[in-house]
Amino acid sequence: MHPATPAPAGTPAQHHGSLPAGGWNRRHLLRTLAGAALAVPAAGLLAACGDDEPATDPNAPVNISFFWWGGESRAKLTEQALKLYTAKNPRVTITPTWQAFTGYYDKLATIAAGGNAPDIFQLDDNGLAEYAGRNVTLDLSKYTGNGKIDVSKHPESLTKYGQLGGKQVAIATGENTPAIVYDKTALTALGLELPQIGWTYEQTITWAAGVSAKKPGYYGMMDPSSDYKALWLWLRSQGKEFYDGPKLAFTEADLTGWFKLWVDARAKGATPPADIVHEAVDGSVTKQLVVTGKAAVSFMWSNQLSEMQKATKADLGMTAYPGDPKGQWARASTYWAGSRTTKSPDVVADIINFLVNDVEAGKVLGVDRGLPNNLDVRKAVSDGLTDQKMKDTVAFENEITPKFGPAPAPPPKGHSGLRNTLRDIAETVTYAKQTPEAAAKQFFTEAAAKLA
Amino acid sequence: MTRARSLSRVAMLLLVLAVVLYPLVWVLGSALKSPTEITSNQGIWPQDVTWSNFTVGWSYIPGVSFSRFFWNSFLIAGASVLANCVSCLLTAYAFARLKFFGRKGWFALMIVTLLLPGHVLIIPQYVLFHEFGWVDTPLPLIVPKLLATEAFFVFLMVQFMRGIPRELDDAAKIDGSGPYRIFWHVIAPLARPALITTAIFSFIWTWNDFFAQLVYLPSVPSYTVPIALRLFVDSSGQTSLGPMLAMSVLSLLPVFLFFLAFQRFLVQGISTSGLKG
Amino acid sequence: MVLATATRPQAASTPPAPPRRRSRRSPGRRQEGLAGYVFLSPWLIGLMAVTAFPVLFSLYLSFTNYDILSSWDMLEWVGTANYEKIFTTDPIFWKSVRVTLTYALIAIPLKLTASLGVALLLNRERRGIGLFRSAFYLPSLLGGSVALALVWVAIFNGEGSFNSFLSLFGIQGEPWINDPDWALGTLMVLSVWQFGGPMVIFLAGLKQVPTELYEAASVDGASRVRQFFHVTLPMLSPVIFFNLVLETIHGFQGFTSAYVISNGSGGPVYSTKIYTLMIYDKGFTDFQMGYASALAWIFLIAIGLITVVFFSTGRFWVHYSDGGDS
Repeated sequence: MHPATPAPAGTPAQHHGSLPAGGWNRRHLLRTLAGAALAVPAAGLLAACGDDEPATDPNAPVNISFFWWGGESRAKLTEQALKLYTAKNPRVTITPTWQAFTGYYDKLATIAAGGNAPDIFQLDDNGLAEYAGRNVTLDLSKYTGNGKIDVSKHPESLTKYGQLGGKQVAIATGENTPAIVYDKTALTALGLELPQIGWTYEQTITWAAGVSAKKPGYYGMMDPSSDYKALWLWLRSQGKEFYDGPKLAFTEADLTGWFKLWVDARAKGATPPADIVHEAVDGSVTKQLVVTGKAAVSFMWSNQLSEMQKATKADLGMTAYPGDPKGQWARASTYWAGSRTTKSPDVVADIINFLVNDVEAGKVLGVDRGLPNNLDVRKAVSDGLTDQKMKDTVAFENEITPKFGPAPAPPPKGHSGLRNTLRDIAETVTYAKQTPEAAAKQFFTEAAAKLA
Repeated sequence: MTRARSLSRVAMLLLVLAVVLYPLVWVLGSALKSPTEITSNQGIWPQDVTWSNFTVGWSYIPGVSFSRFFWNSFLIAGASVLANCVSCLLTAYAFARLKFFGRKGWFALMIVTLLLPGHVLIIPQYVLFHEFGWVDTPLPLIVPKLLATEAFFVFLMVQFMRGIPRELDDAAKIDGSGPYRIFWHVIAPLARPALITTAIFSFIWTWNDFFAQLVYLPSVPSYTVPIALRLFVDSSGQTSLGPMLAMSVLSLLPVFLFFLAFQRFLVQGISTSGLKG
Repeated sequence: MVLATATRPQAASTPPAPPRRRSRRSPGRRQEGLAGYVFLSPWLIGLMAVTAFPVLFSLYLSFTNYDILSSWDMLEWVGTANYEKIFTTDPIFWKSVRVTLTYALIAIPLKLTASLGVALLLNRERRGIGLFRSAFYLPSLLGGSVALALVWVAIFNGEGSFNSFLSLFGIQGEPWINDPDWALGTLMVLSVWQFGGPMVIFLAGLKQVPTELYEAASVDGASRVRQFFHVTLPMLSPVIFFNLVLETIHGFQGFTSAYVISNGSGGPVYSTKIYTLMIYDKGFTDFQMGYASALAWIFLIAIGLITVVFFSTGRFWVHYSDGGDS
C-alpha cells in the first residue's frame, strides 16, 4: 500500500516478518498432525528428514530453484540468461522449471503450502499481494536499500509497484501497458480513422458504431465490461481509483455507470452480441476478435501485439485504452520474487539484480517480459530489435510513458478472485440476465466477502 | 433374415461411429493446418496440408524432445498399471469373498474415500508427501497405487468377483483348498476381465492425468505428455495451436494401441462348462 | 474415526472381552478372518498412511479460515462459520448446486444408456470388432486434453460444425457453447460422448454371463428381447450397479471437462459452474481453502446419501451369483 501508511493488508505480513519462528511452527504443526495420523511407523521417516542446517560458508555450492510460467520462447531466453549468471558465478547452480500459465498458481500455492516454495519465482500483479500479503515472499528492501539490487535506473513508479506495506516484496521484470489492438487493414479498407491516444470512451464507442454500420456482421470493438483493467483505467481517467488499501475505492453507482456504458454501446451497435463477446473473454490471443476477424478492436496488453500478429494475416496496429492517458501508469508485466524460506537470500537477490540490470542478460531476455526496467538496458534492447511489431510496442511505450499518471498500490489480497467475480457479473449484464444496477449490487456483496 | 439384421447392425454401428469420431477427425485435420489457418478456418479439413506441425511440435520445447515426455509417461503409467492390478486384486478378494470382522465397515469407508472431491485433498497430500521426503520424485504418483488407494478399482473388482458363481469356491473348498489357494487358483484367473479393465483404465487415466503429475514432477525433463502438451498454451502470448494439436494426436496413439492390444482379453468370458448352471 | 478403528486388525484374531454370538469359531472361519486381513493389508496401510490424513485434515480445515499461504499460526478455528455462510449468504452456492444437479440428472442416465447400448452392439465376436471397440473408446482417450477445448468450441460455437450440419435442414442453430441456456448442454454431450469407460465395463460384464443361460433361453423359445430382460439384465446387474454408482460419483465430481471447456470460468453466466469448479475457485483462486473444504464436505455428505440410497435399494434389483450377503 502507500509506504507512508501501511494498510491493514500489509499488517499481518509485517507482524510475521518479526517472527522468524513462524516457518518452523508451521512445519512443526504439520509434522505433529501428520505424525498423529500415521502413528508409529512414520515416526522414523519424519525424524529422518529434519531441517537442514543453513549453509554458512560463502563459497559453498548453492543450488537455487527457479520457477516461471510462459511459452517455449520465454523458456529459451530465460535459461540462456540464467546460464550467463552461472558462468560468472560457478558456485551457484540453478534448477529452472517452467510451465504454462494454466496450473502455475495452483502448483505454486501447493508447493508453497508444503514448505517447498522455489527460491525465485515469477508473479504478476494479481498474485503479488496474495503471496506477499501472506508473507511467502522474501523482503527485498534490504537489498534495494544497500544497492545489492540496484533500482537507481528503474522508473520510480515501477519500483513502487513492487512495494506492499512499505516493503519491497518483488522486483518488476519489465514494464507493460494495457493497449487496444486494432485491425489496420480492415479499417483502412473501410476508409475509417484509426483510434488515437486520448480518445474518450464516448468518442470510441461512437466511432465503433460507425465501423459496425459500414460492414454488416462486423463489429467496431470488443465489449471490455468484464475486463478489470479496462474498468480500472476508466475509473482512473475520471480521477477515481479501483482500490483504497484492501477496500474498493469506487461506488456501486460508478460500477452501474460502467455497465450502462456498455449496454448503451451494444444498443448503438458498437459491440457484438454477448455470445461473440464471450468467445474472446478469456483473453487468450488466438480467440481475440481482431484475430478471428469479427471486430476491429481488442483490449489487450502492449507486449501481445507481436504474438497476435503471428495469428492473423491482417496488419495490426496499437494504441492506448480510451480515456485520459493520465489514468495509465508504468505497470509491471510480471515480477521476480524470492521465497522467504530460501536458504540463500543473498544469492537470490544477486540473481534478481543480474536479471534486471545486466545489459547482456537484458539483451538475451529482450522484451519478452515487457520493456526492461533499467533504462540503459531498455535502450540497448530497443536498438537491437528486429521484429516490426515489437518495435511498434516499444514505440508505443515510448509515446505513452511521458503521459503516465502516478502508480497506485498493487491490488490487494483477494484481487485474483475479484477479477473473476467482475468477469462473471459483467456477463450477467451482457447476456441481459440482470440490470446494471442489480449486477453492481451483486458485485459489491461478493467483493465484501472476497476482500475480507 | 439374420443377414439383414447383421447388416442393419453394422450400418447402425458405422453411423454412430461417424458421429463419435467427428471431433477426433477434426483434431487430426486441424493438426495439419498452418498457424494462420487454424484461427480462421474452423472446418474439418485444411486448405493446404501442413505436416510440419508434427516435426516442429516434437522438438518444440527447448532442450527436451517429446521422446522424453513419452518415456516419462510410459514409466509412470506402466508402474501404475502393475501397482493397481496387484493391490486392488488382493483387496477386492478380501471384500468380495472372505468373511472377517469389520468387513462391512471397511467397505463403507472405502466407498467414502471415493466421494470427496480431490481439490481439497491436494494440499494435505502434498504436505504429507513432503514430510516423507517424496516430493520431486515419482513416488507420490506410484506408491499410493501400490497401497490400493484407488478405490474405484477395488470396487470394480469386488463387483466382478461377486458375479463369479460361489459354486466354484465351494468346489475348491471341498477339495481342501484354503482362502489363499482359492484366490490363486480360482478367483484370480476368473477375474481376468476385471484385471484387464483395471489395467486399461489405470494406463489411460495415468496417461491423461494432469494435476497430480503437475504438482509432483519437479522439472521440465521429468514432465509427462499431458503437462508437456500444456506447455504449448500460454495465456501471456505464445500460442502454438498447430504443434499442440499434432502432439495431442500423437499422444493418443500409445493409449489407443494399448487399448487395442488389451481389449481382446476382455472377450474371454467365464467358462461354466462342467458346472451346474 | 479411522484412528479409532485402526487397532482392529489385531482385535479380529483375538476376540474382544464380551463374547458375542460368534464366540465359538470354527478353525476355517478363523483362518478366513485372518486371511481377510492379510489380503486387506495393503489397502489398510494405504488408508492409514496416505488417505486418512488428507481426508481428516480437510474436515478439520473446513472449520478454519485456512488460506493456503499464511503460516499456520494464523490459522483460526471459526467453528461452523464456513458452513453457515455457504447456506445463508453464498451467492454462487445454490446456482452451482442447480447446475450440478441438472447436469448429473441428465448426463448420467444418457451416458449409461449409450454405453450399454453400444456395448451390446459390440458384444458379438467377429473379425474387426476389436477395432470397432477401440474406435468407440477413442473419445475417452482424449480425456481432458487441451485439444478438447478447441474441438468443442469449433463444433458448438455460432459458426461451428454443428450449426453447419443443422443448416442443411434449414435450421438456424444457437451459439450453443456461448449461450448461457445451452452451454451446459454441450458439456452433457461431451460427457455422453466419452462413454468409453462404462462401455468397457459393460463389455467385460457381458462376458461373464454364462452362455448356457442364453442357450437354455433359446431352447425355451425366448425372444431376443425376452433374453435381454430375463438373462442379460439380471446377470449384468452387479455391473450395472457398479456403473450407476461410479458414474453418479464421477458425474457429480466432473471437473476437467467443465474446466477445460469454459477455460476455468464456469461461464457463460455461471451456466457451467459445476460444484467442483466452485470448490476449485474458492480454494485456489480466492485462497479460501477452509471454506472450500467445507463445500467439499457438504458435497461428500450429499453424494454419500445418494450412494447409501443406491446400496440400500440395490438388494431389490442387483443379482449376485455369490448369494449376495452384503
